[in-house]
Amino acid sequence: MLKIALRSVLLHKLRLTLTGVAIILGVAFVSGTFVFTDSIKASFDDLFSDVNSQVDFYVRGTSEFGSSAAILEESVVEAIRSIEGLDAVVPSVDGIAQLIDKEGEPIGGAGPPTLGFSYLPEGEGLTPLEVRQGDSWPTGAGQIVVDTFAADANDLAVGDVIDVITPIGVEPFEIVGIATFGEADNLLGATLAVFEFEEAQRVFDMEGMVSSISLTVGDGVDRALLQPLIADQLPDQVEIVTAEEQTDDDLAEVDEGVGFINTILLVIAGVAVFVGAFIIQNTFRIIVAQRTKELAMLRAVGATGRQVTFMVGIEALVVAIVASAIGIGVGVLLAIGIKGVFTAFGFGFPGGPLTIKARTIVVGLTVGVVVTLISALLPARKASKIPPIAALRDVATSTKDLSRRLVAGLVVTALGVVLLAVGLLLNVDNAISYVGFGALLTFVGVSILAPLFARAFARTAGKPLPRFGGIVGRLAQENAMRKPRRTAATASSLMIGVALVSVIAVFSASAKAGVAEVFEDDFKTDFQVVLDGFSDPRFTGLSPALTDELRQVDELSVVTRVRIGEYRTTDGEMAEKFLIGVDGGIDQVINLDIVEGLFGDFTDGTALLLEEEADRLGLGAGDSMTIEVPSGVTVELEIAGVFAGDALGVPLVIPLETYKEHITFRLDRWIFALKADDVTEAEARAAVDVVAESYPNARVTNTEELISDIEEQIDSLLNLLIVLLGFAIVIALLGIVNTLVLSVSERKREIGLLRAVGTTRKQVKRMIRWESVLIAVFGGVLGLVVGTVLGVATVAAVGQGLKIAIPIGQLITYLVVAAIGGVIAAIPPSRTGAKTNVLEAIAYE
Amino acid sequence: MSTVAARVAGATKVYGEGEAAVTALDDLTVEFEQGRFTAIMGPSGSGKSTLLHCIAGLDTLTEGSAFIGEVNLGELNEKDLTLLRREKVGFIFQAYNLIPTLNAAENITLPIDIAGDVPDQEWFDTVVDTIGITDRLSHRPAELSGGQQQRVAAARALVSRPAIVFADEPSGNLDSKSGAELLGFMRHAVDEFGQTIVMVTHDPIGAAYADRIVFLGDGRLVGELLDPTADQVFEHLKSMGD
Repeated sequence: MLKIALRSVLLHKLRLTLTGVAIILGVAFVSGTFVFTDSIKASFDDLFSDVNSQVDFYVRGTSEFGSSAAILEESVVEAIRSIEGLDAVVPSVDGIAQLIDKEGEPIGGAGPPTLGFSYLPEGEGLTPLEVRQGDSWPTGAGQIVVDTFAADANDLAVGDVIDVITPIGVEPFEIVGIATFGEADNLLGATLAVFEFEEAQRVFDMEGMVSSISLTVGDGVDRALLQPLIADQLPDQVEIVTAEEQTDDDLAEVDEGVGFINTILLVIAGVAVFVGAFIIQNTFRIIVAQRTKELAMLRAVGATGRQVTFMVGIEALVVAIVASAIGIGVGVLLAIGIKGVFTAFGFGFPGGPLTIKARTIVVGLTVGVVVTLISALLPARKASKIPPIAALRDVATSTKDLSRRLVAGLVVTALGVVLLAVGLLLNVDNAISYVGFGALLTFVGVSILAPLFARAFARTAGKPLPRFGGIVGRLAQENAMRKPRRTAATASSLMIGVALVSVIAVFSASAKAGVAEVFEDDFKTDFQVVLDGFSDPRFTGLSPALTDELRQVDELSVVTRVRIGEYRTTDGEMAEKFLIGVDGGIDQVINLDIVEGLFGDFTDGTALLLEEEADRLGLGAGDSMTIEVPSGVTVELEIAGVFAGDALGVPLVIPLETYKEHITFRLDRWIFALKADDVTEAEARAAVDVVAESYPNARVTNTEELISDIEEQIDSLLNLLIVLLGFAIVIALLGIVNTLVLSVSERKREIGLLRAVGTTRKQVKRMIRWESVLIAVFGGVLGLVVGTVLGVATVAAVGQGLKIAIPIGQLITYLVVAAIGGVIAAIPPSRTGAKTNVLEAIAYE
Repeated sequence: MSTVAARVAGATKVYGEGEAAVTALDDLTVEFEQGRFTAIMGPSGSGKSTLLHCIAGLDTLTEGSAFIGEVNLGELNEKDLTLLRREKVGFIFQAYNLIPTLNAAENITLPIDIAGDVPDQEWFDTVVDTIGITDRLSHRPAELSGGQQQRVAAARALVSRPAIVFADEPSGNLDSKSGAELLGFMRHAVDEFGQTIVMVTHDPIGAAYADRIVFLGDGRLVGELLDPTADQVFEHLKSMGD
């Protein structure tokens, strides 16, 4: 049996190649993701170990979560200096500093952080920074050293004077050197700015404070004994860690960032594998159907059903192993490609070889083999049920019990919907897994049901075909209808991709509608100042100096600043959430919709709590609540009021004084302004623009502009996701190619006959093309329906800030794209079909 | 003097190359007259199917030329050959004659539909009536008996009024009664409608329906019979065997 199976693999190279492609792509995505993220981690691993190798200990502010560690009083430095046994005690000050290029455009900031550091001569050799051009470190006010990546990308050279945005405002600095961070030219797109120590304290608004202290221990001193001695000298919220621990923490931070990329890529890989599974299953089913006679003959000469299953299984296994191995190879290439794309978009990372771990190979092979075997299982079982008599008769494919299919499909779909509902509506752990698995089951369920309406679909949607395609159109329609399961299974793989894209489209349309509604209803401001472009609120922001300057503008009556911070609830959940700190009449610029308590009570040490969160915690106005801030300190807040407005998008609002006391982040996120009564909007706007002009990362908008800005951001995110999910659609189109190539070879005689009686090659091609388009449109329609339903359900479940909207135009575009995909997918099979040798096809065997 | 519907002149067809070369047709010249029913006979490998394929434009000659009417097939490109088959030629194969997804009526009008023409309803009715499948027109091939399927194929071959119909063992898969019906119908088409038919067969009884039989052996013309009876055919085949 093994021999027959192996022979069969060799004999049917074409169809197995096509199956193999589906496996290769899925495995390539999985292994490529691992290789890519492992390589990033490995290069940062090397970098940080190298960077921290010269230091023995770090003294730093505590940081329990988030990215806003506690800050140290400078007096700590003196206290440590008095301890014997230490060689070097080097304080450093870190902050956010955004460089501005010569054209006045901000450099970076759209995602990767814009980091600022301090320099002290005694720290030479201890810090990771190395000057590469210009041999000077900043030694005084007005001097700066920038990183190679930022310098190269923006044509900056030693001697240039550039503006830099810092918490104290925008000031010019002279570039005295260009540095690298260890060996790395590029840290995932982060930019670096180095200032002289005291200058750093000034620009980061940290006079009398430091961020961390690097320590080296003298020769012959026992580090293990020294550490507790130092720890004793440290105040609260300050800790000492070894260089190794610091490296681990640095890496954990990278891991978190990389983990996010990893998750996204793995989700896409999962989708690719899932779509591939459909194609593999379909291919094996067609192969088994085409080989009914051969398999029945084997049964007739005494092979057991089990042996036939085994044979089909071995065939699948051989294909799986070969294709998975190729897939891993392609994955490595894919990783190089992804790396290239990241670098091209300015998110380069430190160099280093590609890391191919044993785990990558094991996972790649396992995924490929397991998915293929599971997919081939059903067809193989079906093969074992072929009766020996089928060898003698012409194939009479038994039409399976339709009601059984209906029940099975409905049960699986229902199960999927239930899981989705649990994930979306109930507050469960791992909600995402429920949603993911629920979506998966829904897809499987719909694909089980799909053959039931494949015929009806081809009959209805294919109606115009005979009218303008004549007999060729009619044949295409009939061909699409003749094997409903095949048509449906092929369409189902396309359905997945289209459905996911539709979910995203519905979700983003709803988000846009929600944003527009909330902003229009709840924004009372005339102007907003926001960060230009998409940015991570934890790493960048507006210089507070901008708010201060705007407060001097006579044309404005109210200027409110909003700063974002992170906190953790102290109930069992310990969920990390965002809060905002505000000053200056937030109630005048935004409709908070206070439902309980009084805004007048909102003073230092109090908070405004979102109604939903208040309900969840069982708290109301006048109660006190405890939160944990990033430094690990717990803070008690008195609830001044409960608000219901969606406009702020966070559950907790605290006064800026309270914020500053507990959270070390120093930049503003938004500024809201009201014009003075005695000026026109245009006058006020002009006045705001004049001030904002010197802050290139600030963008002034009115509510309308802000809405369209956000809509644009949502759209670009949507487009990115669609490009990524485009992979699933490409794989599904390969599935159509596969099915049609197999169908065409199955219908060789028929096509030969058509050719003999005068059908031109063009007409044959057209016939196959129309069938392909019908299948693709069927998949597209299924996808749109499932995707829209899932999308609307998700939007309804998330609720807050969203307003259900179905982007019909966009959805129709997807359908058109699917149809065009069908035309493209028809190219290989229609070529094969047109080349059908008439004589061979009509030869009587 | 009847005109020639199709002919080959100096036709040679060699398959393969070098030592493996097989000569299927060897400098063969033969004509098929219009309005007559000609049968081609010969043992296996005598080149009779090759001759049919080459003269019908399904295959090309290695040397020599093939004509349908005045058209030299060797001068036509692939597309023109297809169009020629569509317009001038009808086919009846031994099996797999019909498209399974189309019903009998649609199968019959297939060449006309492919050409985008409108079938002549009167002629269609005449053919279908003659052939005796009027009540099966809406059935798909799977619902027809083998004899009925071949009769549908014959109707398809006739309905576009081709210059010539080529039949390759049309009754080869049929029982003798169905076979006789089919051949009787073909005979009728020649007598009543003046249809030209060229048929390859190895069945002496079937061949006896023809006006003329040409015998091939090793790719050459080795004999000819006019207005044959089955007995004459038997005799002739016997003499060839000697």
